[in-house]
Amino acid sequence: MLNKSKPTLSDGTTIDELINLQTREVSMRLLSDHEIYKLEMERIFAKTWLLLGHETEVPNSGDYVVRDMGEDQVIVSRDRKGDVHVLLNVCPHRGMRVCMAEVGNAQVHRCVYHGWAFRPDGSFMGAPIEREQMHGNIFAKEDLGLTKARVQLYGGLIFATWNIEGPSLEDFLGDSKFYFDLLFCRTDGGLEVLGPPQKFIVPANWKAAAEQSASDGFHTLTLHRSLMETGQYGRATADDIYANAPAMYGVDISCRQGHSLRCIPAEVTFTMFMSMDELKKLSPDERLEVLPPPGITKEMLPELKRHMSPAGLKLMAKAPPQVGGMFPNVLVLFIYAPRTDGKYSGALALHTYVPRGPDHVEFTNWIFAEKSASPEMKRDMMANAVRQAGTSGTIEQDDSDTWPHMSRNARGAIGRTRTMKYGALLGEKKPEDWPGGGYVYDGFTKDDTQWNWWLYYRELMTAKG
Amino acid sequence: MTTATASKGMERLEPVPVTGKRIATGSALYNEVLEFLYDEAALLDAQNYDDWGKLLEEDLSYTAPLRITRQGSDRLNTVVRTTLHFDDDYSSIMGRLLRLGTKSAWAEDPPSRTRRFVTNVRVWEVAKPQEFEVESYLLLSRSRYEQSVLQMMSCVRHDLWRRSGPGAFKLARREIIVDQSVLGMANLAVFL
Repeated sequence: MLNKSKPTLSDGTTIDELINLQTREVSMRLLSDHEIYKLEMERIFAKTWLLLGHETEVPNSGDYVVRDMGEDQVIVSRDRKGDVHVLLNVCPHRGMRVCMAEVGNAQVHRCVYHGWAFRPDGSFMGAPIEREQMHGNIFAKEDLGLTKARVQLYGGLIFATWNIEGPSLEDFLGDSKFYFDLLFCRTDGGLEVLGPPQKFIVPANWKAAAEQSASDGFHTLTLHRSLMETGQYGRATADDIYANAPAMYGVDISCRQGHSLRCIPAEVTFTMFMSMDELKKLSPDERLEVLPPPGITKEMLPELKRHMSPAGLKLMAKAPPQVGGMFPNVLVLFIYAPRTDGKYSGALALHTYVPRGPDHVEFTNWIFAEKSASPEMKRDMMANAVRQAGTSGTIEQDDSDTWPHMSRNARGAIGRTRTMKYGALLGEKKPEDWPGGGYVYDGFTKDDTQWNWWLYYRELMTAKG
Repeated sequence: MTTATASKGMERLEPVPVTGKRIATGSALYNEVLEFLYDEAALLDAQNYDDWGKLLEEDLSYTAPLRITRQGSDRLNTVVRTTLHFDDDYSSIMGRLLRLGTKSAWAEDPPSRTRRFVTNVRVWEVAKPQEFEVESYLLLSRSRYEQSVLQMMSCVRHDLWRRSGPGAFKLARREIIVDQSVLGMANLAVFL
């Protein structure tokens, strides 16, 4: 009999056996198994909060975008009152897709099959030929609306979950919320999405991408070595990149729910700032003036000061969170991104890794700027982000060529029995006067944050009920 | 509430703005341009980036808008220029070429085997002498590793070529309009 607390695969293996707590190993089978994928859709993608977009994508009444919660397609729409709704894009009549476009404006979503119609809040308006009552005599109109997810906005970001009675978004973000606030809630106007997201398919299991988003810093030195060879990261004169180890030393943070961020001083990573020895001598206030956090200008600093505590501001001055992730499938990239022309207005991007079957993932890439940024700065930030991240980004094109190989290896009879190893642990260590909570790791970035990601994955996959 | 990003930057796919005379298919000038496009495709397929880089003007604009599925009266407004797949100028393309020359540009090492099929070429004169608007369809096939299924991408390119000598041109502008709203390739580590 199936033990609900320990989901069992058809060959008798239980999920908890695939993540070895003693040896900190994760079975490669998790990157290819169809049964596990099905369980993930139910236990993760139908349960946790998921990022679907930003409210600036649907600014007006009737605006909508179509997005995905796992394999479930949803309509994200704004109603006349200004509220944002997330609606399953499945007609309650015969299961047809209701909204066929991926973006648009409509006060009525009418199914093209038999004409059942719905408002932007999901409520059922009626079926054609009202006198014949084609919605039937069994269900009341109130019961025939589109299935609604629970929605919460945070920093303008639209999150939704099917877990109607479950934890709040705030509880889900846990101790990491303090750090995410520093990125998403720091100016009067907030963030603005600069356009629709880039989308492309990578032939890889979604977790190959997602486990990396849990602050895998170490891969930068090898997979992204071209950044050092072209003189963007590290000291261009050093012939030994590993000895120099740019982007490695900082403070990684995470929490029980698997979210994480890497707080790294600019001069640890980027060649341009490494030579600025005076940076180290500056007070936090002076440092903010000389080197504002990515996406922020000197002119925006008074706003920043209004929106964060002095301790938060100090962290943003010294080592702003630059890269990390949100469980289960979000990558956060808020980097300085200095350019060859000496500009460094930054690149702000969020990705979601949307599962498309066990062997494919849809990479969705939103690019942001603060609303109060000048048009020129927004233009720069778009170019910065596109050149480094996403479809053609010179950093991430190496990532998307790597994940398919891991997934392919996980399909072999022997390969699937091999493991991914997370045995390099730094251990919790909080710097003095550290402003935030959660698990804090000061030093050389190691496997701690990614292991926490797997621990939360394990918790959800083996949870009771 | 801010500006309507849902409609801003989404535009109709207009044909090339015809500012000058259409160059007749098969004419000497047309053939000159066509042969040049074939040569360019051959350079890229051979990964001869040094020589391809020499075809680029220093005022280059090299972009690839997003495509989006829309419905109803907006159904033809499928080109999005707010977000782009490529958003490059001369110096950033040179940066990409520099990277491809390093020992660690893994997205193309080992390199893809590519084939660029260039068709439906239309050429117009523009107001400036010795500049030509060139529209071409491109079908890119890309084979990586042991994958037997070719990765494909179809697009139309709107170019501005500037004559640099007899039978020679330099690229000043290329806008690549891809046909997929969700790209079927894991990256654009190749040029279109």
